[in-house]
Amino acid sequence: MNDADTIQPLNARPPYAPGDAEAFYAHVGTGGKVEADDWMPDDYRAAVLKFVEMHANSELMGVLPERDWIMRAPTLRRKLALTSKIQDEVGHAQLLYRVAEDLGKPRAQMLQDLLDGKTKFHNVFHYPTRSWADVGIIAWLVDAAAIVSQQALRDSSYAPYARTMKKICWEESVHIMHGRDVVLTLMNGTEKQRAMVQEALDRWWGPLMQMHGPPTDPARDKDLHWGIKAKNNEQLRQEFLSIYVPRLLELGLTIPDPALRYDESIGRWEYTEPDWAELKSVVTGHGPASQSRLEFRRVNFADTQWVRDALLGNAAAA
Amino acid sequence: MAETPPIDATSREALAELLLSVADDEFVIGFWDSEWTGIAPMLEEDVATSSIAQDEIGHAKVLYELLAELTDDDADRIAFGRASDAFRHASLMNHARGDWAFSVARRYLYETADQVRLAALTGSTYEPLALLAGKMRREETYHLMHADTWLRRLADGGNAGRDRLSSSLECLWTDAQEIFAPLIGEETLVREGILPEPMRAMSITWQARVRPKLEPICGALPAATPSIDGRTRRTSDFAWLHGEFTSVARSEEAATW
Repeated sequence: MNDADTIQPLNARPPYAPGDAEAFYAHVGTGGKVEADDWMPDDYRAAVLKFVEMHANSELMGVLPERDWIMRAPTLRRKLALTSKIQDEVGHAQLLYRVAEDLGKPRAQMLQDLLDGKTKFHNVFHYPTRSWADVGIIAWLVDAAAIVSQQALRDSSYAPYARTMKKICWEESVHIMHGRDVVLTLMNGTEKQRAMVQEALDRWWGPLMQMHGPPTDPARDKDLHWGIKAKNNEQLRQEFLSIYVPRLLELGLTIPDPALRYDESIGRWEYTEPDWAELKSVVTGHGPASQSRLEFRRVNFADTQWVRDALLGNAAAA
Repeated sequence: MAETPPIDATSREALAELLLSVADDEFVIGFWDSEWTGIAPMLEEDVATSSIAQDEIGHAKVLYELLAELTDDDADRIAFGRASDAFRHASLMNHARGDWAFSVARRYLYETADQVRLAALTGSTYEPLALLAGKMRREETYHLMHADTWLRRLADGGNAGRDRLSSSLECLWTDAQEIFAPLIGEETLVREGILPEPMRAMSITWQARVRPKLEPICGALPAATPSIDGRTRRTSDFAWLHGEFTSVARSEEAATW
């Protein structure tokens, strides 16, 4: 079991006294793990909650762009793969909301805050989909960009999150294979199908480059400092580019950034500065599909409220 | 897969009709139910419903493959390449997804009828179908448990749930009979033992089983029998669905997806 390194023995005590914040931060700062029932400072708890809640929201909202295609999947195999992939994302949301719930915020409140636009979800899920090629690009590249950061989260100092990420990463790697297969099939298809992929890549490239966020000052990034996440934004973006730029070029696709190149001398990718103003605007609910997606969720949530009421046996009070 | 037994042209045609009717039932209900993915009343139920929908589409896939083998066709061509009036699902599957109670009511009616049908088909003399029916039956047992649990939950969950469930059951009762609508060539199928029991007999078994479960919820259900056009009537709901699931393929004829 490789989980052994993150699970504390049942009767073990963390190497810090409850209430000793300084010792706690020394513990997480040197790779120590924290379990749900361990004492933790309020600001650490709040930071983990915010991080996991945003991740859970993203899984849940990330369902919607691909869901546009669930009724349009063009073959039996694609229909099964797409439905199953989206089901996985709902399952991830459920797992993550449970991790977040243990930190003290009820699931119903998290869902309400999401619907009210009080909490955020990842930038890539604020954009509309336009063709079947989007299904391939999202499952391949959006999930690939996500997995780069999610793999790093398997080392999170908050052990329940780290364990959940192991399961999620495994499933995401299956999604990437499905996405790549969709893209590959289209690229081996007709002229029109290849053009469809290029057009989708042109639209998604900007959001993909923004997805990991602007470079941060590692000294001031407390999520990094406390080991909630293990790699900084720029490291993640560089990793994504190193793996996927060669693969995209190999398929004959053109990456819509004339400045993109690998600088051997400094060992890093150079690229046109992503539009950070767009990122900020999008994640605060001003993206092209932000409000329509939230409204879609609100309408469906309201339409099924009676079911939840009936189950809780409070139909009379509703 | 067992050796396909030699089969004459008349029986083959009748068998193709039987396979198509079961496959289309599974395909269309699987499509409707998959629409809950991402928006079901709660996350746990979202995952469960999606999983059931995938099972149904999976069953449709193997049935279409069996049919394609028999008629020298292609499973995807059969599923996605037909005009809407060439579909043979029972008219129960003609309705759009509806609300949660409507989906529960339809799934309960379908799963209970499917249980009767699969039990018969496991005794088919056409061995590939008998084997497949046995395999499907193992999965459908869980679907039935799920549908039955929800039926009881809604029936016992206060007026809102009970009223919605009750009106959905009333609305779907007549169309549910059509799962047992007579098939073209049914006499041949029964004579050859490919269909071990006539549809009419299955229909009676099914009604005897579900009436005592449903009538306490929605009151006396009217006398109803399967009709001759029970698998050929189509609706605007299905026309919409057909338009959706063929839209990508239509955007570039003869392409691979």
